[in-house]
Amino acid sequence: MATTFKTLTANDVTNTRTLLHEAIPLTGTIVSGTYTDQNVKTYTHGMFESTFDYPFLSSSANHIIDITAGYSSTSVVSSSTAIQNSKKINIYNQMASVLVGHDVTGGIQQFDQDGNIAGGGTKIEDAVFFMNFSRLLTKDEIKKGSFTTTFLTGGTPSTVQPNTNHSALTLGDYGAATSYYVNSPAGEYAILYTSSATPNANSGRGLLYYQAGVAVFSGSVFESGAAGAGAVLDCTNLGPGFPSASFQNLMTGSTIEILAASIRNRIQNISFNNTVELNSSIYFCRANNNEFNYSSNPTYLNSSEIRVKNTTSDNPVAYITTVGLYSSDNELLAVAKLSEPLKKDPNTELTIRVRLDY
Amino acid sequence: MAFLDNSGDIILDAVLTDTGRMRLAKGDGSFKIAKFALGDDEINYELFDKNHPSGSAYYDTEILQTPVLEAFTNNTSVLKSKLLSISRTNLLYLPVMLKNTLSGKLKNTGGDCNSLIVLVDKTTRDQFETNRPYLRGDLLSDDTADPILIDQGIANNAIGNGDDVALDADLVETQYIIEIDNRLGYLADPTTATAATPSFVDDDNIASYYISTTTNTNFFPSGQQGTAMSGDMLAGPRGSRLALLVGPSTNLATSTYLFTQLGSTSTGPDAATAVKHIDTTIRITGATTGYRVDLPIRFIKYP
Repeated sequence: MATTFKTLTANDVTNTRTLLHEAIPLTGTIVSGTYTDQNVKTYTHGMFESTFDYPFLSSSANHIIDITAGYSSTSVVSSSTAIQNSKKINIYNQMASVLVGHDVTGGIQQFDQDGNIAGGGTKIEDAVFFMNFSRLLTKDEIKKGSFTTTFLTGGTPSTVQPNTNHSALTLGDYGAATSYYVNSPAGEYAILYTSSATPNANSGRGLLYYQAGVAVFSGSVFESGAAGAGAVLDCTNLGPGFPSASFQNLMTGSTIEILAASIRNRIQNISFNNTVELNSSIYFCRANNNEFNYSSNPTYLNSSEIRVKNTTSDNPVAYITTVGLYSSDNELLAVAKLSEPLKKDPNTELTIRVRLDY
Repeated sequence: MAFLDNSGDIILDAVLTDTGRMRLAKGDGSFKIAKFALGDDEINYELFDKNHPSGSAYYDTEILQTPVLEAFTNNTSVLKSKLLSISRTNLLYLPVMLKNTLSGKLKNTGGDCNSLIVLVDKTTRDQFETNRPYLRGDLLSDDTADPILIDQGIANNAIGNGDDVALDADLVETQYIIEIDNRLGYLADPTTATAATPSFVDDDNIASYYISTTTNTNFFPSGQQGTAMSGDMLAGPRGSRLALLVGPSTNLATSTYLFTQLGSTSTGPDAATAVKHIDTTIRITGATTGYRVDLPIRFIKYP
C-alpha cells in the first residue's frame, strides 16, 4: 500500500530540558547619561521609576529595570515628617511580603542580612533600595553566582556615566552557585557581598532573588564603615542636582523618584547571566531504505511517467526539503525545513531530528 | 519569507503552525503529534537531467542547489506535495488525478474564469438558467445526474489500456481529503445532494472532508471504478473515480457581505449581465498517493 505518512512510535519521541544562559551587561551609560534621561519613565504616583534601553517613547525601547526605595515602619529613619513616609513604608512592606513572606501571626517579615530569617539577627530595614529587573532580561531566572554590580559610593558623579574614580564598590552573589537560600516564598536567593575573598556577615549588603529578578540593597552600600555601622557616607552628593549630606538624609528628605534617580546615577555597571529553561520535544523522523522514495510533486511525473527514471530498474529518487509533523487526524501541527534538499533513494536511510522548544 | 542559509551544515528550521498553536492553547490534549510526512514543495523535477553529458552524478546538480524557503506557519501553505512510500522500486509510472472535462459537471467548463460556476441562490439561477454549465446552489438535487468527476489512474497507455488492465491495487486511491473554504461553501453528496460533515475546520476556516471508499460509497459511483470507468481522462490503467457536488454557504446564499469583502464584480455566464463573484479553490488530495488536484470554483450572485 502506498502511503505518505509514517506513524511515530514511542521510540521516536523524547523530551529534554536544557538551561540556556546569556550574558546581560548593563553599563551606567545606559541607565543614566546616554539618552539624557529620556529613557527614564516616572509616574505621577511616584512609587518607582522605570529605565529603558532607549527613549521610552520609541517603540524600539525595551524595559530593563525599575528602581524604588523604602524602609520598614520600625526603621530609625521612619518618621511622620519624612517625605513620602507612608509610600516608602508601603514599598518596603510590599517587597518584603512578596520576597520574605509572613510570620506565624501574619505579620510581614523583614529582609534578613544573613538569610537566617527565623534566627533573628540583623535586619535590612533602614534605607533599602530595590532593583526590579525586567523579565525580558532575567528570563526564567538570574544565573546563580553570575551577578555583580558596581556603585560609585564617593564624590559627585558627572552627568555621563560611568565614572571611575568615585570609590567604586562592587557587590556580587559570590559563592551562590553552590550556596544559596530557599526559605523565601519567591524562590531562591543569596546574599550580595562586597568581597569575593572572605564573605562574612558584615560584608553582606543586600539580597538577590533569582527567580523574582529582584536585587535588594541596604543603604549601607553608601556607608564608609561596616554594614549597619551608621549613616556616615563617603559621598557628599548622591546625584547631579540632588544635594544631600547622606543617604539617610536623602531617604527621609527626598521623594522616591529623587532617591531612584540618585541611585541610578551611582550605578557604574550591572552584569549577570540570565537563564531560560528550555523544554524540548525531539522527534526522530526515520526514513528507511524503502520509504519516501517517490513523490507526489506535480513535476515528478510527465504524463504519469516518473521523470527521474529511465527504466523500471532505475532506482526512484526524491528530494526532501520539508518535514511535517501531524496529529492523528492529519492536521499539520509543526513544520521543519531543511536548509538544502536532501536526496532520498532506496540506497539511503535517514533520521531527521526535529526539535520543538516550549 | 526568506531562504535558509545553506552555506554550512544542514540545519532544520522548525516552527509550530497556526493550527498547532491553536491546539496547544486549547489545552484539551488535541495537540499531539502522531505521525510525520516529508515534503518537496520547492523541488522542480523537470531540472533532473537524465541526459547530462557528464554522467549520472550530475543528473540532479541543479535540484540539489535549489534554495529552500523558511518554514511557513500557515498549515495550508506547506507540504503541498509529499513524498510517497511504496515498497516496490521498479515503478516507472505513477497514477495521477485528473479533473474530468469529458463528462460530468466539468464538461465544457471554460470561459473567462476557467472554473466551475456555482449559482448561489434562486434569483441567480433564474437569471442564468440557460447558461450551462453550473451548479445550482439552491437546487443541488438537480445536479446529481452530472456531478463533478475526478478520475485517478495512469495518464498514458504505456503499460496497457485502461479498458483491459487494472491499476495495481496498492496504487488505487481509496480515500480522498477535500478541503474547501467553509465560509463559502460545503461539500455535498453527489447522490443525495445533502451536505457532508467535515472532519474538522481549521483556524483559517478551511474545512477538511475525508471521503473513503468504505464509508462514503455515494462519492464513488458504482460501475465506474477501475476498468469499468468510462468517459474518463485516462489512457492507461484506472483506479477510482470520485464524484462530488459543491454548494454555497448560507452566508453566500442570503447575503452579499462576503461578496463585498472577498469578491469582485464581473459579467455572469451569459457574458453580459453584471454579477458579484468570489473565486476560490477546492483542494482534492489522495490520502494514499498524496497526489493533489486543485479545482477552481466561482460563486456568483445576481444582482
